[in-house]
Amino acid sequence: MEMTFYSGFVIPFIVGTSVLFAVILYKYVRWMARLPRRDKLLVWRRMFSVATLKGLWECFTECLLHRRIWRVNPLLGYMHTAFALGWFLLIVVGWVETVAYLGWRFVPLQGHIFFDYFTQGMDHGPRWGIDFELIMDILLLYVLSGLALAVFKRFRSRSLGMKRTTRLTLGDRTAMGALWFVFPMRLLAESFPSQLPLWWGYSIALGVFFVAMPFSRYMHIFTEIPLIFLRRWGIRSEAGREKSFDHFQLEACSRCGVCIDPCQLQRDAGFWNVQSAYFIRDRRYNNLTRYVADNCLLCGRCQRSCPVGLELDTLRLGSRWTLSGAPSNGRFNYARGVDLSSGAAGSGDRRVGYFAGCMTLLSPRILRAMERIFDAAGEPVWWADRDGGVCCGRPLKLSGDLDAARDMMRMNTELFRNHCITMLVTSCPICLRVFREDYRLDTGVDGPKIEVLHHSEYFARLIAEGRLTLKEVGSQLFTYHDPCELGRGCGIYDAPREIIAAVGSLVEPTETRSKALCCGSSLANTAINDIAQVRMAQTVGRDFEATGAATLVTACPLCKKALARGTSLPVQDLAEIIEHHLA
Amino acid sequence: MKKVAVIGGGPAGMQAALSLVQMGLAPVIVECSSALGGKLKDWHQLFPSMTPAHEVLDELTGQIADAGVEVMLHTEVEGVTGQGVTLAGGRKLEADAVVVASGFDIFDARLKEEYGYHIYDNVFTTVDVERMLNKGAVALHDGSAPRRIAFVHCVGSRDEKVNQKHCSKVCCITGVKQAMEMRTLFPEAEIFNFYMDIRMFGPGYEEMYQSAQQDYGINFIRGRVSEASPTIDGRLQIKAEDTLVGRPMKMTVDMLVLLVGMKAGGSNAKFSAALPGGGITLSSSGFVAPVDLFAGNVSSGLEGVFYAGTVSAPKTIGESIDEGAMAALRVAEYLKGRK
Repeated sequence: MEMTFYSGFVIPFIVGTSVLFAVILYKYVRWMARLPRRDKLLVWRRMFSVATLKGLWECFTECLLHRRIWRVNPLLGYMHTAFALGWFLLIVVGWVETVAYLGWRFVPLQGHIFFDYFTQGMDHGPRWGIDFELIMDILLLYVLSGLALAVFKRFRSRSLGMKRTTRLTLGDRTAMGALWFVFPMRLLAESFPSQLPLWWGYSIALGVFFVAMPFSRYMHIFTEIPLIFLRRWGIRSEAGREKSFDHFQLEACSRCGVCIDPCQLQRDAGFWNVQSAYFIRDRRYNNLTRYVADNCLLCGRCQRSCPVGLELDTLRLGSRWTLSGAPSNGRFNYARGVDLSSGAAGSGDRRVGYFAGCMTLLSPRILRAMERIFDAAGEPVWWADRDGGVCCGRPLKLSGDLDAARDMMRMNTELFRNHCITMLVTSCPICLRVFREDYRLDTGVDGPKIEVLHHSEYFARLIAEGRLTLKEVGSQLFTYHDPCELGRGCGIYDAPREIIAAVGSLVEPTETRSKALCCGSSLANTAINDIAQVRMAQTVGRDFEATGAATLVTACPLCKKALARGTSLPVQDLAEIIEHHLA
Repeated sequence: MKKVAVIGGGPAGMQAALSLVQMGLAPVIVECSSALGGKLKDWHQLFPSMTPAHEVLDELTGQIADAGVEVMLHTEVEGVTGQGVTLAGGRKLEADAVVVASGFDIFDARLKEEYGYHIYDNVFTTVDVERMLNKGAVALHDGSAPRRIAFVHCVGSRDEKVNQKHCSKVCCITGVKQAMEMRTLFPEAEIFNFYMDIRMFGPGYEEMYQSAQQDYGINFIRGRVSEASPTIDGRLQIKAEDTLVGRPMKMTVDMLVLLVGMKAGGSNAKFSAALPGGGITLSSSGFVAPVDLFAGNVSSGLEGVFYAGTVSAPKTIGESIDEGAMAALRVAEYLKGRK
């Protein structure tokens, strides 16, 4: 039978598909070409490694099955899987069906898509013992069930586990509107294949969706694939600049809105347009404001929940860097007048260095506790802050002023090296994070290795080595707040709990460990005022009060100050708790 | 005779009661502590005239006694309405009108942990200094005389970090006054005031500030103190920025005096919460909000409830007394209208 596979109604589909692939090709080629040389080398080196196979598997589990969304909420997962896997299988089975009925021959794209139209009058009975009609109908029903959930979600997101769903852009609305029509039109057209207007409707819906797609949130459908591979090959965004790779992350964001609910700025402080989904949207469409970039606690709660695994904090830092204008060196010369030569060189020889950091210096109870604990353990300590230690640099980094931050890092590194310490202990998780992520003290690259420990880890070690004996003072009930920089930031959850367990018992709040709430006063947010910070602290405070604990313990001097403003419970640092229990 | 409940027996409450008696009404002062006088009881001398505080206190309490005003001591108030007040334990005190003169709280300096109050021995608040002056025992913890004293302005005032956005108004002049008192006690000491602004709003204040500099040799440095830490020899090292010179600075002192601010009275929130849906409303700083700051400055907006003194904002003692009289006048007008 001679088949032309042409009818007027296929034009919208053909145009849409052509635009879609032209735009996607243009974008991907451009972004890849602009990758820095180092990233390109990484791609070439790792392309033929096991990383690629792992990427393939991840494409299957994430782009088709959406495993991570299932973990957020099964109904939400079902909806995404129905669309992705259902549509994918419709295309694959549809292609096999074409071969089954028409044999090995060239069939243009529209021949596959509008198969039922072009094969009217043909016997659609089972081929090779397989009832393709039935399979395709079931698959279509599967997708339609996902669609029903999607429509329902727009009006009642709460039943799909989301208190709030994202607000849409014009491109999103167009694409979504078209998408809602695609499958019902397909159902109608295939049910009444002789009705040409139905085929026109189906083709137009597809065409509109494809044209709108690269300019809408549905760009994520394709973009997550290159993102997965590039990530597997070791390419990352950077805090210090915006990179070409960022485009893959930005456009892989489906604005699903899973990041909105965990955001405390939304929950407790009433900010509705700064969450990661909106930040990414604004940056993608080039209307990011300093306000949106700055209005984030960088607590990491959204990053932890992102089903696409986007580096949300890093992307935001990159934007802050761009928006902060030209490199600011010289604008504030923070290091002016600091004398690094005070204190004899080598005075910390083979010793433990202690870096209090500014927030601990502002919390003298912690400082005094540290002093007593070092004494009790018989540890001869070199005090960095007394010998010219400057700011760790993290506050500057968080505000996007990476040049000034690097100045601070250079000065401190030089100081640590001059004094020949072998271990650096800090009671501030903000300092700890920058020491671990940026200083590279323990790599041995530019000098002997210096081990960096948070005071909780150091205490746990002292206790394990028997250098610190603690006595129990009655049976005390503690609750513990995981500081963002310590928990999600540095992955330290157990050491503080071990210490609390050594002196009393611990009751956990409802959201704890990697899900822990931010104290609300993060240094990273330079856009909100004190009222919003206190509101967040109060919500967190209520959570801790509900545990029935007598004391709220934290391991960050900033969290300590912040929480004290929001709760009636006494708030103490781990060091203070230990100090009370020194034998 | 119509009965008026006056909550609080400080200067504003006492003056309100006295004026109410003048107008032929029967005030009842409800005071939570053991004596009349409010915080005036703790003060030593009053700026700018250096009038001994007890003179003002004795004058007011004497008049109260002479007028035979009913006073209920040791009595907490839980709620306020235009028909009376609810006392602790649920007992009701019926009244035809209520004057809320429950005053302010003193900011807890421990919340500014960086200044080391209750951590280091020689960090005091202005309230501590007044008490020491009253006892005639101003000295360091070990009993010795300070050689260098620093006053820190705005501790718990104009400070978002501790939820105290407002200016407490009287601390600047208190800092000047106490510095001069310290100079009299310790002629050899160096005395510094670290300030953000010097707000000399009252009569004679500016003159006093001038005199502190010219005649008393007090140093004023514009800049906030960021932190205090102990030195090896048991003194205190403070870090600050001299914003006129534009340089950070460190100074070692023997005594650090924190000019603690006025915090909204703890009972304000209780009164406001007891009347959900209006009545007593609070401003963002937690002080009660009068109808307006002009002709309605002692009116609550709730029928029969009036304000006097620092319950509505930081005020001087003179201003509080003025408001006591004003509140009494408004109560009389209100009750006359009701007959």
